[in-house]
Amino acid sequence: MVDLVQNTIDGLMIGSSYGLLALGFTLIFGVMRRLNLSYGPSVMIGGYLGTVVYLQFGAGPLTVAAAVVVGAAVAGIYVERLCFAPMKAGAAIASMVSSFAIWMQLEQAAILVLPRHTYAFPPLATGAPIELGPFAIRVDHLVMLGSALGLAAAVQLVLYRTRFGLALRAIIGNPVAAHLVGVDVRMVMPLAFAGASAIGGVAGFLVLAVDQQITPMFGMWATLKGLIAMMIGGLGSVPGAVLGGLLLGVIEAQSQWYFGPQIRDLVAYFVLFAFLAIRPRGLVGSMSEASTQKA
Amino acid sequence: MFEVSDIVAAYGKIEALKGVSLKVESGRITCLLGPNGAGKTTLMMTIAGILQPRRGSIRLEGAELAGLSPARIVSRGVALVPENRLVFPEMSVRENLLAGAYQRRDRAGIDSDIERMYARFPRLKERRDQMAGTLSGGEQQMLAVARALMSRPRLLLMDEPSLGLAPLIVAEIFDIIAELNRDGTTIFLVEQNAHMALKVAHQFFLMEQGRITFSGTPGQLAEDEVIQRAYLGTRRAVG
Ligand SMILES: Nc1ncnc2c1ncn2[C@@H]1O[C@H](COP(=O)(O)OP(=O)(O)OP(=O)(O)O)[C@@H](O)[C@H]1O
Ligand SMILES: [Mg+2]
Repeated sequence: MVDLVQNTIDGLMIGSSYGLLALGFTLIFGVMRRLNLSYGPSVMIGGYLGTVVYLQFGAGPLTVAAAVVVGAAVAGIYVERLCFAPMKAGAAIASMVSSFAIWMQLEQAAILVLPRHTYAFPPLATGAPIELGPFAIRVDHLVMLGSALGLAAAVQLVLYRTRFGLALRAIIGNPVAAHLVGVDVRMVMPLAFAGASAIGGVAGFLVLAVDQQITPMFGMWATLKGLIAMMIGGLGSVPGAVLGGLLLGVIEAQSQWYFGPQIRDLVAYFVLFAFLAIRPRGLVGSMSEASTQKA
Repeated sequence: MFEVSDIVAAYGKIEALKGVSLKVESGRITCLLGPNGAGKTTLMMTIAGILQPRRGSIRLEGAELAGLSPARIVSRGVALVPENRLVFPEMSVRENLLAGAYQRRDRAGIDSDIERMYARFPRLKERRDQMAGTLSGGEQQMLAVARALMSRPRLLLMDEPSLGLAPLIVAEIFDIIAELNRDGTTIFLVEQNAHMALKVAHQFFLMEQGRITFSGTPGQLAEDEVIQRAYLGTRRAVG
């Protein structure tokens, strides 16, 4: 019982970073109606920029965090300009395949700059875990959960309380109608892309700081976790993305504890499959089935 | 005055508009009739800037609109109520109206216009916090009209506002069109329902296969003949 609760706590903490990854992913999907496979690799590029800043200048965590976020946002805009802006409406496959090509390109770029397989990444918060009776909470996990929930709340506020958020939701709801009410879609789209990638950058920084290392595989990892959490939570929903991430984190923590790390990933894919088969809308899918099918 | 001259627009190689010219008098209701596939929606989308014309000019009070972005066209005073309404399904009625005023910055004016819309469309007021996607077809049409009016257009374009609606609702929509026009809005309307359209319109155009084939005032041509042409096209009607 103690194990079960402790695993749940750990799972929620890690899962909050999955939630952030899913949040960036879902915003890009909602606005573009396209799957951006280069989403994780953009975050990875941010991570590498942070690593360079750390290794070269011995920068502190906040500076490294800023570098990761800026790097991810810039890489995101690069992906948008190359894979999404030039593609004709309806060319979903072309966008997806080219985002795959850019994924490979970004990975190669990272390897060129930092050719070793693994590099150190600065820790977020050191110090003894907080003891709560029989349970222990790592300080960096707590920071992760706090930043993730705070950022998700901020995104929700921007979406529902600002003019920019209204524009985004209009594009998500119906791109032609968004044009017709006077939203400057060509301006808003790259901004949304950059913002979503920056959110991924925050998640990436938090995860890397907890792991204290980075490899070029981080891009694929981030795309996979974000994608699974997004699909579990439901496409196009902010609370869904966060819930999907938290649920994925808990499922992973439990299955790792009881069945070991290999089985953990199998379980995660199985849960994704189960959701796709039984409840394709996800936990709180705000997008109707019709609009997911259209996309 | 609103004037379209020699507009050519195409989807890839297929020319849907083959040199369309027409005039819409200020303060009037002008109606565009024509069979399915004539290019009516294409013309509306081109005027709104969603499609870029290959050639030709579109002028509102002398100012060129062709080539501008849809957002600029809205801020110049043209609003389109699109075919199939295209409300934002996951926004509330109120948020849809706010989105309609996206180009405006006068907070107080926007709020008072929302109240005016509620007064004109009482059913929207009742459902102000309901998601637009859950409204009935007629209510969605009212919302689409109100949303377009929120930009305070000088020219209101409407693409088949009666599409798929019950006769009673259609009558209500046409009452609203007449009322808006009495309040001074210039209206350019696409309709399949020639009978209703000819009752409210001051002027009408017939479009067939991407060209204007007739223009006149209601009464100038017998309604049967207009309907015949509007639904079936001249060629088949003659041949
Ligand atoms: N997105 C598109 N791609 C290619 N061709 C199109 C597209 N939209 C319309 N067309 C073609 O352009 C022509 C004009 O279509 P349009 O929708 O403007 O007709 P319409 O007069 O509005 O018809 P309806 O009364 O059925 O609404 C048609 O031949 C149609 O097949
Ligand atoms: Mg049409």
